[in-house]
Amino acid sequence: MAHIWPIGGGKGGSGKSFLASSLGRLLAKAGKKTLLIDLDLGAANLHTMVDVPYPEKCFSDFITKKINLLEDTVLTTPFPNLSLISGAHDSLDIANLPYEKKIKTLKAISKLQYEYIVLDLGAGTAFNTLDFFLASRNGIFITTPEPTSIENVYRLMRSIYLRRIRHYFSVTDFKALEKKVKQHLGDDSFNKPEHIVAVIKKEYPEKYALIKKDFNSFSFKLILNQLRKQDNVDLGLQICKIIKKHLGISVDFAGNIAYDEHVHDAICQRVCFLDRYPHTRAANDLRELNKKIGDSFGEQLMLNYL
Amino acid sequence: MQKDFAQLNYYEMLDIKPDATALEIRGAYNSALQMYQSDSLVSYSFFSQKERKEILAHLEKSYSTLINEKEREIYDNELIRLGVIQATEKKAAVKGPVSIFDINRQKDTFGMMKANNAELKAKISRNQRIREIISQQEIRGADLKEIRSELGVAIETIHQQTKIRLDYLNWIEDDKIEKLPAAVFIKGFIKSYLKCLCIEPADEITTRYMNYPGRKN
Ligand SMILES: Nc1ncnc2c1ncn2[C@@H]1O[C@H](COP(=O)(O)OP(=O)(O)O)[C@@H](O)[C@H]1O
Ligand SMILES: [Mg+2]
Repeated sequence: MAHIWPIGGGKGGSGKSFLASSLGRLLAKAGKKTLLIDLDLGAANLHTMVDVPYPEKCFSDFITKKINLLEDTVLTTPFPNLSLISGAHDSLDIANLPYEKKIKTLKAISKLQYEYIVLDLGAGTAFNTLDFFLASRNGIFITTPEPTSIENVYRLMRSIYLRRIRHYFSVTDFKALEKKVKQHLGDDSFNKPEHIVAVIKKEYPEKYALIKKDFNSFSFKLILNQLRKQDNVDLGLQICKIIKKHLGISVDFAGNIAYDEHVHDAICQRVCFLDRYPHTRAANDLRELNKKIGDSFGEQLMLNYL
Repeated sequence: MQKDFAQLNYYEMLDIKPDATALEIRGAYNSALQMYQSDSLVSYSFFSQKERKEILAHLEKSYSTLINEKEREIYDNELIRLGVIQATEKKAAVKGPVSIFDINRQKDTFGMMKANNAELKAKISRNQRIREIISQQEIRGADLKEIRSELGVAIETIHQQTKIRLDYLNWIEDDKIEKLPAAVFIKGFIKSYLKCLCIEPADEITTRYMNYPGRKN
């Protein structure tokens, strides 16, 4: 079964697509059969980053049944071992993907014959985005060291957490839970999964044990992108510490990627940054990250809530 | 999963072990402040104003309790009584018969001083105020404290380096002579203190400290 790396970030422009394309390139270069899937429908540009300027088919062809099998939407890229499912022509917004289509997609993804599948997820916290992020235990969060981006990544983390808890309840049970949380803790408390967990612990101890076990089996990663000289290099570690202490979920800090003007240059020239500027700080950071992430992931696909 | 922050014990709040040294406690407190202060990027948007205020109050209380040897002992005994920590975890901090040197204390893991002797010397030669103090006829504890502050060295660092008990160091700096042990010990303390800060000539300054009239009566 493929290793699936969903990449989610708080904010547009934080570098999700850049990271997805770079990791894809590195994996492919190491001889791994790798597939990139652009799920940032509506703002898709992964194809541009891997030099497929005119994708002749894309993900929505699968959704509209123009193409029957997901694997038939796969495009080759100029890079050996690296393939792409583009989101380019999708007029569809991921948030509007109907439930059955999402399940169908997730199932199809799990059957694809690749060693690595990297999912480029759009910004935002639409349920569908969250479910794709939860398609594997190895989700990667990315943010820049700006308050706006950090704000969004925290929001995403909380949403993921809450979404996962939601998978453990039926619609009616969850409604009941919601009511109890509000009763115990007041109206605005429901946005904070840590409050909900406290109530679950009290009211549904067996579920609590399951959820706890489940979260322990996740191996989330955090990457800080576009770090400039003056930025705090420990920011990522500190964010993970806060998450651990106050949300109770473990997110491993995977590392920093330096801010580098050459990234912009490479994207403008529509060449692969790692090939064009291999001897830069940012390229080095990417190689180290890729190694670290690759070494540390264990058990793969979950999809057990389907 | 997480416990409510308010339910953590002081060591957990500061992310330190029950046998943490004074220097570690201070370091942990500083890094906690870095993370939780209202202008911190790390926790930006993560907490409401109210939550942040509560956390900061808890941290403040943890720090002020643990940094005070007496209060810490009382708090530790309470934790041991409640079975939260084991007496053995506290090995390093447990007081036997009153010892003058804390040889049990952990090594200074930060290695701050050793690496910085050259830097200290450079600071001393640049610092007008320190040179003034050194040339005074009378040297008191308050003067030592001023030198230390000018150099930006924590009292815990001196404690780590010299193994002189923290309460003794505080009494020396506050000129609470009546609380200190016999003069022979004090002489050794002052010399180590000065050496630790790279203040020269240590012997001579120690003599001036020991001889100043206020000390004798
Ligand atoms: N490490 C970096 N150094 C400099 N610029 C970067 C870096 N990472 C990303 N960028 C810039 O940010 C822009 C947005 O990146 P992109 O990957 O498209 O973000 P997202 O997919 O999250 O919206 C890129 O076009 C690039 O110019
Ligand atoms: Mg993108």
